[in-house]
Amino acid sequence: MNKSHRDSIFLEEAEILSHQGFAGEQFILRVQAPQCAHTALPGSFVHLQCDPLQPMRRPISIMRTSDSEGWIELLYKRVGSGTQLLSLRKPGETLNLLGPIGQSFKPSAEHTHPLLIGGGVGMPPMIFLADCLRSDRLKQPFVILGSEVPFPFSASPSKIMVPGMPEGVIASMPLLDDWGIPCRLASQQDLPGCYQGYVTDLARLWLVAMEKALRQQVEIFACGPHPMLQAVAQLAAEFDIACQVSLEEFMACAVGGCAGCVVEVSTPQGPVMKRVCVDGPVFDARQVF
Amino acid sequence: MPDSVKSPLNIDFCGMPFNTPIVLLSGCVGFGEEYTRVKGFSNRETGAVCLKGTTQEPRLGNQPHRIYETPSGMLNAIGLQNPGVDKVVDEILPTLDFTETHFIANVSGSTVEEYYEVTRRFDDSPIDAIEINISCPNVKEGGVAFGNDPAMSARVVEACRQATRKPLITKLSPNQTDIAGNAQGCIEAGSDAFSVINTLMGMAIDIESRVPIIGNNQGGLSGPAIKPVALLKVHQVYQVCRDHNIPIIGQGGITSAEDALEFMIAGAHAVGVGTALFYDPLICQKINAGIRDYLTRHQLASVEHLVGTLQLHQQTRPKCSC
Ligand SMILES: Cc1cc2nc3c(=O)[nH]c(=O)nc-3n(C[C@H](O)[C@H](O)[C@H](O)COP(=O)(O)OP(=O)(O)OC[C@H]3O[C@@H](n4cnc5c(N)ncnc54)[C@H](O)[C@@H]3O)c2cc1C
Ligand SMILES: Cc1cc2nc3c(=O)[nH]c(=O)nc-3n(C[C@H](O)[C@H](O)[C@H](O)COP(=O)(O)O)c2cc1C
Ligand code: FES
Repeated sequence: MNKSHRDSIFLEEAEILSHQGFAGEQFILRVQAPQCAHTALPGSFVHLQCDPLQPMRRPISIMRTSDSEGWIELLYKRVGSGTQLLSLRKPGETLNLLGPIGQSFKPSAEHTHPLLIGGGVGMPPMIFLADCLRSDRLKQPFVILGSEVPFPFSASPSKIMVPGMPEGVIASMPLLDDWGIPCRLASQQDLPGCYQGYVTDLARLWLVAMEKALRQQVEIFACGPHPMLQAVAQLAAEFDIACQVSLEEFMACAVGGCAGCVVEVSTPQGPVMKRVCVDGPVFDARQVF
Repeated sequence: MPDSVKSPLNIDFCGMPFNTPIVLLSGCVGFGEEYTRVKGFSNRETGAVCLKGTTQEPRLGNQPHRIYETPSGMLNAIGLQNPGVDKVVDEILPTLDFTETHFIANVSGSTVEEYYEVTRRFDDSPIDAIEINISCPNVKEGGVAFGNDPAMSARVVEACRQATRKPLITKLSPNQTDIAGNAQGCIEAGSDAFSVINTLMGMAIDIESRVPIIGNNQGGLSGPAIKPVALLKVHQVYQVCRDHNIPIIGQGGITSAEDALEFMIAGAHAVGVGTALFYDPLICQKINAGIRDYLTRHQLASVEHLVGTLQLHQQTRPKCSC
């Protein structure tokens, strides 16, 4: 009997260490959850009780972790009753949190140029993935972040050159710049230093500027709103590039018990319904779009 | 088991020695292993675990969204997604650890013949007992369509009875007028026990797009919102079960030891936990501990002494619930 799945998800009473609001209804929340921090991977999420008054949990991706300090950091947008209650929680209080959950992004050994695309509150897993990739000397990642509201950090001009970028597209996330990872920002809004347009349009400019041989080294990772993921999947198919996407669906248990969170996945044997919580949230784009 | 080593939580359910009166409910715990992902969770905290509803052929289930939170509960319309009985018996059952708890199959079908065939297949397997789901609100044929028709309910039970000698538990629907009358018919058809209740039918609407939120348009309501309904149904079914020594798995909105105790006092031998696991995956430990405390406080040697101990108010005037 293979029982390797057992004891892989932890239930923690996580103390809120900091909780900061940003424009556009965005919040960054850091909580003490040492067991989750220890085993979380890029793409993992937590299923948290926003407030004891609302017992059904909400899934939120992990953005950063510190194994040594035992915390995890989340970025979320206030959109409804759960995230509204969550936004009222204060440092010192505790959150009941289940995690880490889900299949992570899995960069392949043969692709040296990972392209990370995060839109809105789909940014967190991309930042986590970038953090993990920076220790891999063989990888040369490029990160594109998109948002229709001001970014939840102060964007600043990047010190790292990126081929193919239009003039003036220089804004980056300072944390990624500090990590030495090239990053550019995109928005439909007219934000300083940002590319005005879709993340996929900026990604296309980057891909087109590459030599064909190098382009074969690219692998795409994406998380964001469904239409954005669809556009990313299309772009990947057009350039014949491998692509992994992280999906969302309403969840009850988040441990694989209820089959409530499924997405249709195409397989050689025909369509099957896979659970976003434990079979995903990361899927091969060709199988889900 | 000699009384000296018996825990006050042990019960006998249709000849099966349950560790505790808790039964994990069908559809909430996949095929028995899913919750063991959570550190601290153990099937040993339960008397039995009911597997996901199983049909003869594999089913893809309904389109999303399949679940939605509602006040004090949730709607679900999974549509009996399952890999088909052959795969469950040949590939899933061998991976389960039967020393941890009892595993109960949950059988569904579109025809009486399908119920018979699936039950027969499980009869020839290590499964401990079989629950017949004639109350699923989320599939077009069979399910609740059978459960709400007493004659059809009895026919399904009769067919399954012919297919197995394992304990047969009939899962009753609350979406019917005379649940006790239906239970009586099922007992005569050979049911050994009952699960009371399955979900109530409900709906939620997105007012912006004016479409139902659930892909199946309607779904089954579970969780604390249905607890008072479930409790009354257990009380009603107990009235016919008592004389036949037929045990009940009381369920619907149990989230605490107090809830579980209410169900037992109303007449349930065992108590089902489903939606509450979504709130707290480690809830079983808390419910067991709470029941144990209650028994100590009331100087009861066994939880079985509680079953059906409800003392109704004597009604002096003509009955009217308004
Ligand atoms: C794997 C995963 C990772 C996620 N990561 C993040 C993240 O990092 N940051 C972030 O802001 N959001 C994230 N989301 C979306 C987040 O879960 C929803 O925004 C949140 O559940 C909304 O809850 P609410 O009560 O505020 O909204 P309401 O609209 O009131 O929610 C009503 C119900 O619908 C569900 N629901 C509504 N929208 C979504 C959605 N997009 N996905 C899943 N369930 C939904 C809710 O959980 C709730 O049960 C993620 C979702 C998934 C599945
Ligand atoms: C997501 C979900 C799936 C379910 N699937 C089944 C099923 O396949 N077969 C069945 O007999 N009952 C099914 N049920 C009903 C439960 O087993 C249980 O009877 C009901 O939810 C009431 O208990 P609760 O309020 O504790 O959840 C399901 C319930 C939920 C919430
Ligand atoms: S949320 Fe229950 S299986 Fe994914």
